[in-house]
Amino acid sequence: MRPRWRKVLLDLFENPTRTLLVVFSIAVGVFSIGVIAGAYVIIENDMSASYAANRPANIELRMDDFDRDFLPVIENAPQIAEVEPRRVFNIRARAANSQAWTTLDIVAIEDFDENQLNLLTPLQGQPKPARREVVIEREVLKDIDIRVGEDLVFQLPDGSEKTLKVVGIVQDPTTGADDFLAPPFAYITMDTLPTLRQPDLFNRIYATVEGNGNDPEYIRRVTADLKDRVEKNGVAVRRTRSALTNQHPLASTVNAILGILLALGVLIVFLSSSLIANTLAALLNQHLRHIGVMKLVGGRDRQVFAMYLVMILSFGLLALALAVPFGGIGAYALAEFIASQLSFNLLGYRIVPLAFIIQIAVGILVPLIAGFGPVINGSRISVLNAISGELANETGGASSPGAKRETLFERFENAVNTALLRRGIHLPRPLLISLRNTFRRKRRLALTLFTLTMGGAIFVGVFNVRTTLFAYMDNVGRYFVADVTLDFSRPYRLSEIEQVARQVPGVEYVEGWAFASAEILYPDGTVAENLVVLAPPANSRLVDAQPVAGRWVQAGDTKAIAITEGILRSFPNLKPGDYLDVKVRGQQDRWLVVGLFKFIDREGLIAYGTYEYFSRETNLANRSVSFRVVTDRHDEAYQRAMSEKLDKHFREAGYQISQARPGLSALNNATESLDILVIFLLIMALLTAIVGAMGLTGTMGMNVLERTREIGIMRAIGAVDSEIMRMVIVEGMVIGLISWVLGLFLSIPITYGLSLIVSLAVFETPIDVVFTPLGYLIWLGLVILLSVLASVLPARNAARLTIREVLAYE
Amino acid sequence: MLSSAHPSTLPLIELRNVVKTYLSEAGEFTALKGINLQIYPGEFLGIIGKSGAGKSTLLNMITGVDHLTQGEVIARIGSQPTSVHTLNENDLALWRGRSMGIVYQSFQLLPMLTLLENVMLPMDLCGLYHPRESRRRALELLEMVEIAEHANKLPAFISGGQQQRVAIARALANDPPVLVADEPTGSLDSVTADHIFELFERLVAQGKTIIMVTHEMALMPRFSRHILIQDGELIVSPAATLTKN
Ligand SMILES: Nc1ncnc2c1ncn2[C@@H]1O[C@H](COP(=O)(O)OP(=O)(O)O)[C@@H](O)[C@H]1O
Ligand SMILES: [Mg+2]
Repeated sequence: MRPRWRKVLLDLFENPTRTLLVVFSIAVGVFSIGVIAGAYVIIENDMSASYAANRPANIELRMDDFDRDFLPVIENAPQIAEVEPRRVFNIRARAANSQAWTTLDIVAIEDFDENQLNLLTPLQGQPKPARREVVIEREVLKDIDIRVGEDLVFQLPDGSEKTLKVVGIVQDPTTGADDFLAPPFAYITMDTLPTLRQPDLFNRIYATVEGNGNDPEYIRRVTADLKDRVEKNGVAVRRTRSALTNQHPLASTVNAILGILLALGVLIVFLSSSLIANTLAALLNQHLRHIGVMKLVGGRDRQVFAMYLVMILSFGLLALALAVPFGGIGAYALAEFIASQLSFNLLGYRIVPLAFIIQIAVGILVPLIAGFGPVINGSRISVLNAISGELANETGGASSPGAKRETLFERFENAVNTALLRRGIHLPRPLLISLRNTFRRKRRLALTLFTLTMGGAIFVGVFNVRTTLFAYMDNVGRYFVADVTLDFSRPYRLSEIEQVARQVPGVEYVEGWAFASAEILYPDGTVAENLVVLAPPANSRLVDAQPVAGRWVQAGDTKAIAITEGILRSFPNLKPGDYLDVKVRGQQDRWLVVGLFKFIDREGLIAYGTYEYFSRETNLANRSVSFRVVTDRHDEAYQRAMSEKLDKHFREAGYQISQARPGLSALNNATESLDILVIFLLIMALLTAIVGAMGLTGTMGMNVLERTREIGIMRAIGAVDSEIMRMVIVEGMVIGLISWVLGLFLSIPITYGLSLIVSLAVFETPIDVVFTPLGYLIWLGLVILLSVLASVLPARNAARLTIREVLAYE
Repeated sequence: MLSSAHPSTLPLIELRNVVKTYLSEAGEFTALKGINLQIYPGEFLGIIGKSGAGKSTLLNMITGVDHLTQGEVIARIGSQPTSVHTLNENDLALWRGRSMGIVYQSFQLLPMLTLLENVMLPMDLCGLYHPRESRRRALELLEMVEIAEHANKLPAFISGGQQQRVAIARALANDPPVLVADEPTGSLDSVTADHIFELFERLVAQGKTIIMVTHEMALMPRFSRHILIQDGELIVSPAATLTKN
């Protein structure tokens, strides 16, 4: 090999720590970009592909019971292509060998062979049950430990039990794809219904539209027309839902989240590039004499430039060798994790060419761009400057002859010193030296601070976002104060249910709620939004409402509602005091909006009215099908136990109870999915913090190396190991603490930005930002720890040098 | 030895009224105050003066390592005369690499390369020799300076005197007609220094022109010619007057 390329090769191994530092800082960026870009492409493609492959219905109608004779009404409706009726109902089930009950949604399908919509993907056993057999969705396995061939025990409304054999496990990626709070599904044929004491009737319609199944506007119109048609023919429609053929309902949410991760990934690349620039500038500085010698014996700028360019490329290639395989694996792991959370299948492990190309581009281009400046400066230097030592434009290094002007910092330091001395305070000399050393290399310090501050600010920002999200969920929880929710298959008198419930020890309070569903209309009469009205008694103790505008509903209100802010999507100018046109049970009406509140608007909007008015409207005065119970304790375990007790008690007393749910469970489910998001954000935050710490390690290493001679002189005049180590470590901590203070400020805009993006992605509405000291404190501890760790190694190296070595150093 | 100067031929290197003024934060300092000097092929020229006299500055003007403030430096090495002071850094590097070997007091070997590779480096950078040829040539040069058996060692593993021999071998790599040495024996003991000096004498005998800077007056008689420099000015010596004729 030619000597100059041998030199490049040997330089790579000359200082392994430095090489590793540069390689790792490139690799971290490449890795995070690779993981996110890969996962993005895989999910973008597979999520919707897996969804579309199962032929999702565009329209779902939840209706009152209807029979086969009614079907032509729907099949002959305009713009409707395929139609499939099903019966879906709630039931409690357990494994034969267990006593733990779980609520399932049973889906009864007329003919599995004719199944055209919301197809099931077979996973194990039979995908099609015969009479008295059941097929379960794989989600069931999370709640019930059961295998194909074993029996599932169902509890009927009268308390008796029936057993069906599990013949298969399937995956249903389409039904309930947008509702991760729904209970898991199990599938039977219509002729199994009598076994479970269910009528041989349908209550649900799944349908596709003719023509463009990806035009949301069109689908919504067809849905509204179909609903009208069904109701005109005498069957009430409880709820409608519409979906696109080729897009998973949660695709936009997931993409938004991946977008945030991508932004953080780009930021990591950006930070690592400043780290690379820093290290390369120091490397070139240490190599000045080499460059001088090469120029002395005939080397030209471009030869030197090419040598260092090859060196940078080698760093990039080493980083790629490290990061690309892990990036590919990480991408698939992330995609798989998200897929399992949202219950869709990936099309299999693969290398994403785009992610591969992006990684290579980042791994090659970022170091090239970051290193270009230092390398150009280094290779252009004249022989004279090179041999006599300093890059011409780097300030604050070894001083050139002649008196230098006092820098701003020195003046500041002197002023502080004199002020302290006047009060009789002496700063210890080693501390002063540490402080002064910190500010010697200004540009390097600035880059280090920038990286570490960014890392810290993002870290803190993520904690704030987490608190913001949970504060919001808490706020939502104010509308879920009940400990147990009881749903019955038919209405009962309020006083009666209250009396029976109170027979169970621990029950303190019972409230019956009314419900209404309505459509909000635009002035031209078309449907703007679906609305569910919850109507607790006006003096309810179970809604701790905090309207953001106007007031809450109160006693005496009649056609009045408080509605979620989600209404502003359709009516941006709506204010309390305005009226909304609505359609309730086929009748037009006008409701007064008394206030607006914040809520998660996932499926349709929610409004609150008074029980007194809405129960009369629904002909259920003093009666209800849904009751809220307050118990004497409020933790989830107790709520769960009380649900079971109440369920049993009412069944035994002969009531047709359909469901008893612990109050916190729904909320906790929702919070869990937020936790996943927060974990991802934290991982990214940790990566940025690590990049910051690596930057600090590099800087401390370079600082110590450059001061080798000085350290030798200090030892020669009697400084002991521990003093030298302390000086270096204090310098590292000073940098860490400065970055923490700067991070305090930088975290504010980052918190606001992140919160906005996350809340838009998850809740589709901006939410109020909440700051927590937690992130700041953790980061303070972490930054001190990291800066001590970052300087211990360089400090030990410094303390180990012998005087002879040090004074011989050049 | 004095006859090795050739008054009839053109000087190999000619300095005309060279002035060098350093600008520093302490103010202006004129290190060379109008130097006129002709160096002829085959000379072994000693530039002698006290520390701070301007010797290194003068060498830097000849090698083009530093820029002069006034005057001219003309070199007649190779086919055409070159105005050294007008070349840019890159052209200078190439010109210097091919026509001058430079030896410093502090050897300036690259620590990560073997002795052989250090000697090959100028050939690699100037591209005058084929890579295979340059290895053979580097070995020859190391043999000439009697270091061949250490060829694959790193500089740190040999003595200062040996390092200086390698530096000389490196200076000769591209077979330049001129060798420039700035206090090459300054950090060596007297016996080792003597060996180096003998090596120079042998090279002169082989036809090289050598310019050597030293502050040791004792070496004066061993040069084919010497000039004395003090405070940036040449002190006219009898020998110098003689060759100037
Ligand atoms: N870069 C510089 N800037 C300012 N003064 C310099 C510089 N280099 C050398 N000098 C001054 O020029 C004078 C001659 O220096 P030099 O040629 O190195 O002397 P020497 O004869 O010892 O080699 C000295 O007084 C030195 O201080
Ligand atoms: Mg000198």
